[in-house]
Amino acid sequence: MHLFLLGASHHSAPVDLRERIDFSRRGVAEALDRLNRIPTITEAAVLSTCNRSEIYTVCDNPDQVKRDLATFMSSFHDVPEPDVKPHLYGRTDADVARHLFRVVAGLDSLVVGEPQIAGQVKDAYQLALERGYTGALLNRLFHSSFGVGKRVRTDTGLGEGAVSVSYAAISLARKIFGDLAELRSLVVGAGEMAELTATHLKAQNVGHIGVANRTPAHATTLATKVNGTAVPWELVTEELASTDIVVTATGASKWILTRHHVVKAMQPRRNRPLFIIDIGIPRDVEPSAADVEQVFLYNIDDLQTIVQDNLAQRQSQVDLAELMVHDEVSSFMTWLRSRGAIPTIVALRESFESTRKQELDRLAPKLESLPVATRMKIEEITHLLIEKLLSAPTEQLKAARDEKELAADANSLERLFRLDASTSQPKSQDATDAVKRIKNRESKSSRVKHR
Amino acid sequence: MNIIPLGLYFIAAVAYAIHFGTRSPTSGRIATVLLVFGALAHTFVIGMQTMQVGHIPLVGTTGAVSAFVWLLALAYLYTEMTTDERAMGIFIVPLMVLLQVIPAITNTVASRPPVLESRWFEIHVSSLLVAYASFALACVISVTYVLLFKELKGKHLGVFYARLPSLQVLDVMNRHAVTFGLVFLTVGLAVGAVWLFEVQPVAADPRVQAMSLLDPKIFIVLLCWLVYAFGLYARRHIGWTGRRAAWLSVMGFAILMLNFLPVGYFVTRSHNFY
Repeated sequence: MHLFLLGASHHSAPVDLRERIDFSRRGVAEALDRLNRIPTITEAAVLSTCNRSEIYTVCDNPDQVKRDLATFMSSFHDVPEPDVKPHLYGRTDADVARHLFRVVAGLDSLVVGEPQIAGQVKDAYQLALERGYTGALLNRLFHSSFGVGKRVRTDTGLGEGAVSVSYAAISLARKIFGDLAELRSLVVGAGEMAELTATHLKAQNVGHIGVANRTPAHATTLATKVNGTAVPWELVTEELASTDIVVTATGASKWILTRHHVVKAMQPRRNRPLFIIDIGIPRDVEPSAADVEQVFLYNIDDLQTIVQDNLAQRQSQVDLAELMVHDEVSSFMTWLRSRGAIPTIVALRESFESTRKQELDRLAPKLESLPVATRMKIEEITHLLIEKLLSAPTEQLKAARDEKELAADANSLERLFRLDASTSQPKSQDATDAVKRIKNRESKSSRVKHR
Repeated sequence: MNIIPLGLYFIAAVAYAIHFGTRSPTSGRIATVLLVFGALAHTFVIGMQTMQVGHIPLVGTTGAVSAFVWLLALAYLYTEMTTDERAMGIFIVPLMVLLQVIPAITNTVASRPPVLESRWFEIHVSSLLVAYASFALACVISVTYVLLFKELKGKHLGVFYARLPSLQVLDVMNRHAVTFGLVFLTVGLAVGAVWLFEVQPVAADPRVQAMSLLDPKIFIVLLCWLVYAFGLYARRHIGWTGRRAAWLSVMGFAILMLNFLPVGYFVTRSHNFY
């Protein structure tokens, strides 16, 4: 059993190819159904975001599956294989875990530490789980990845600080005013930047959004889009008195707001803070307005500086996050190896069980005279004895440090207890039950761990 | 015995500093727990002293300082629990440590002269101490306001930007603390005045006779009352919110501390009961 991943992301593929192999175009569900029909794959999940298309699988032969998945990518998206193949990356076992953990932690994102990816991975896993395409391996892999994501987000500053200009502006507004729901904002201009910021204000539930533009029709259009009201151009300076957040984004060559306008507006405001975001180029607000008490004026350069600082700050946390990923990959791999011990454990258990049965059968004539309750007790005690005897070797086998150690331990056990290699697969009902019990115990402990 | 709460406050101050530096939630919780233990130990010490001398140890500046620190710990813990903000601990707890050094060194409880054996005395002093604790909190909130304001205005977002609540929240907290403090200051002063009218004609104690508006301690506390009252008035009617209100709050508390310690110990002729 191996983990195998095939995918393409912003690191490996240009945007036009990423668009062509985006699973959301035809639906991830359909892709999963199609993948299910590939006989070499036993488990599958598909992660599709605007920057990456990845297929996570469990299989026996990664080389074969690599070819199968490349063909699938090509046929499913209707892109010639030679176009897509050079941009695909394949990962196996520990590298799959490392890749997914880095993705969820935001380490592999275009903007390091961006928070949406964790939710997108959760959705991808949920869909595969609901359709029954995941099993023990992928379940464990994805659950572990959510744990890593959470750890990185809470214990490092990787996701902290605004890394886009509009988000930086909103964060500043929150630091000045706290709750934005009661505030009045005014967007001056109706161009692309103005629209982007107005949409952001709306998304952050700012109480009221006014829009002013030299062309009233443009103001009305944008105001309708963001559930705001259009403000006549001549009233902009008057409107200042009742506004808390002003965004100016016009292409005007002269100041739209001068220091004088701002000073005048502050009197009726009783000095309530006024936050002015000037993202116009050239600037729309006279810079000396920033000196007025209780006025906070930020222009596009100021905001960009904040964004750059935050990006640098995030970068400084990358090493710490990588270390966490490294730790989690090792513990995931320990778990994965412990699964390799199952055939030996089953064989050992079966051998002990058959000895117990044989001995009880042999003693049956002698025990016949005993009451039923006592015979049941003997049955129970012998059973418990075996469980006790096997518990330590089972734990030790599962805790093997690497494949070599596991193989050596398994060999010794097979030799010492004369376990037949062929008995290494569950045959009898008892042995199958034993496997189920082991797996149940594992999945329970993994659930507890991730709760 | 005052050394035990002092030690706990000191460790709590270190924990708050670590929390401020690392911003780890665990260190914050540890700091709060340490402070709670400090306050409990302090409660125990004050309780023991009360049992020892038969009255609440509020006589004299030393006893008052200890009670003030205790009230400040309670007031801060209350604020922390209602707002879930721990960033101010790094300012307030060291202040408590500094002040607690006085009772820890002195370590004696002043005996109560007969003239102070009155219910009025207890109400007078405890009201004023509650007011002081509230003003201390307002001062610390204001200092943080000014620091955050400076970062926002100067566009150099740094440690305070990342750790403090919004300016608006700090401004509202300052207003609440000042209003609360002013109510208790007024009650304390009024009770003191009424009581003075009662005892001055009959008491022979020279300190009681020295009580007048011209005594430095009384004069300065009235000045404080004016500063805080003006602050609230200006906030409402002239629009002195934010930074100006914060500076007034800091100024008020600075005068108050001056009155509480140097004036209380060395200058006053009326309030020297130590």
